[in-house]
Amino acid sequence: MENNVKTGNLSLDVLDADGAIQETAAAVAGDTRARFLAKAGLLGGGLVGSSALLGLNPATAGAQSATRDIAILNYALTLEYLEAAFYTEAEAMAPLDGELALFARVVGAHERDHVKALKAVLGSKAVKRPRFNFRGTTEDAAAFAATAQVLEDTGVAAYKGQAPRLKSNALLAAALAIHAVEARHASWIRDINGEPPAPTAFDEPLSMSQVLAAVAETRFIVAPRRRRRRRRPRQAPTPTFTG
Amino acid sequence: MSEPLTLDLLDKDGAIREALDEGMQSTRAQLFRRSIIGGGTFLAGGLLIGGLPKIALGAPSAAQDVEILNFALLLEYLESEFYIRAVDGGALNGNARLLNFATVVRDHEVAHVNFLQNALGSAANPKPTFDFKDTTTNAAKFAATSIVLEDTGVAAYNGQGPRLTKGTLAAAGQIVSVEARHAAWIRHIVAGPGYPNAPADYPAPAVLEPALTKAQVEAAVGQTGFITG
Repeated sequence: MENNVKTGNLSLDVLDADGAIQETAAAVAGDTRARFLAKAGLLGGGLVGSSALLGLNPATAGAQSATRDIAILNYALTLEYLEAAFYTEAEAMAPLDGELALFARVVGAHERDHVKALKAVLGSKAVKRPRFNFRGTTEDAAAFAATAQVLEDTGVAAYKGQAPRLKSNALLAAALAIHAVEARHASWIRDINGEPPAPTAFDEPLSMSQVLAAVAETRFIVAPRRRRRRRRPRQAPTPTFTG
Repeated sequence: MSEPLTLDLLDKDGAIREALDEGMQSTRAQLFRRSIIGGGTFLAGGLLIGGLPKIALGAPSAAQDVEILNFALLLEYLESEFYIRAVDGGALNGNARLLNFATVVRDHEVAHVNFLQNALGSAANPKPTFDFKDTTTNAAKFAATSIVLEDTGVAAYNGQGPRLTKGTLAAAGQIVSVEARHAAWIRHIVAGPGYPNAPADYPAPAVLEPALTKAQVEAAVGQTGFITG
């Protein structure tokens, strides 16, 4: 069974400038090692928040499961942020017409709704939207079409990889509902592209690290603009008294 | 093809479409319902998210997996026979895209049957007998029926997902997305150039895929009259 998503060989360090990706991976792996704590301390916003998110205070097995579910949802949210932004930008910038334009509009609306749904479920635990640079793939019709196919196939494999790891049945039902829609998207763009809509009898899952590596390879997620540090205020001279 | 391709060709009393539409409409209407998590704690059990159907849950078990896999096997038997007969019958030979679809999907469904039979071993139910009437001898009816079968198959798998043990869920997960690809594919063929009345989102009509309960799927399949013994 061939893996229909190219992942390449690369490390997360290649891209993960603001650590958002690694933060996600760490949270899901339940890594409690000091270096992730240290990294967390260096990052602003994003997944940084309650230490419970990083599995640092596992009170009970229940808490651990809920923690992992949150991390999985945030992983899904990150991917949906990416897809939604990709389609939104392409609709605005790429010279799409005919069916490609229609596809971008319909599928973009779905992904934006997936973002809203996942954010609603996560509430205050939702990660912030990363910053993106789609490296020209939202400005050219052929690049858009090829990239959309990779994104959708990857999304299918990503949800598939996580579904069995979810603790909550309600979240599992939601994940399966999104997973099938991404598969429809993938089939649709493949047919548009003249590729086999359903290339294999069984679709393979991808692990979180495999997907994050594939995402890193695209370099679509970029570091946030650094806020200019406020200079330390100059010390006012101590008044001296004469006399 | 001279006949317009619609669900009417198959779904005479609308039972199948109603079940699927209900699922799709309720997800749209309730999509943005406020989080069930509330103050940060997860609630367990069969809760609703965004209007997805509430699936009755017993604890997953190997015995329940067998029951569910046999249910899946029945659907795969049905689909594989449907596509085998459609390809063998020759009704699709005048339409290259339909013939390619049917041939590829036939092979997938046969692979799914083999997989499920192997997984079930001696517990696998035997293949029933089928009568597909003219849905395998008329190209337009074939296409309309494929849409219903594939859409229903996805909804059936997703309805059972939360009831499966995790290992079996992983295996079912590899099949359900392929069925969803099939569904989008045939919808795309049907709604291609020449069918200007098809809705823009025909290959992927819902933001969240609806799920059906076992009872709903069995009722829908029963309505078709395809299973004769």
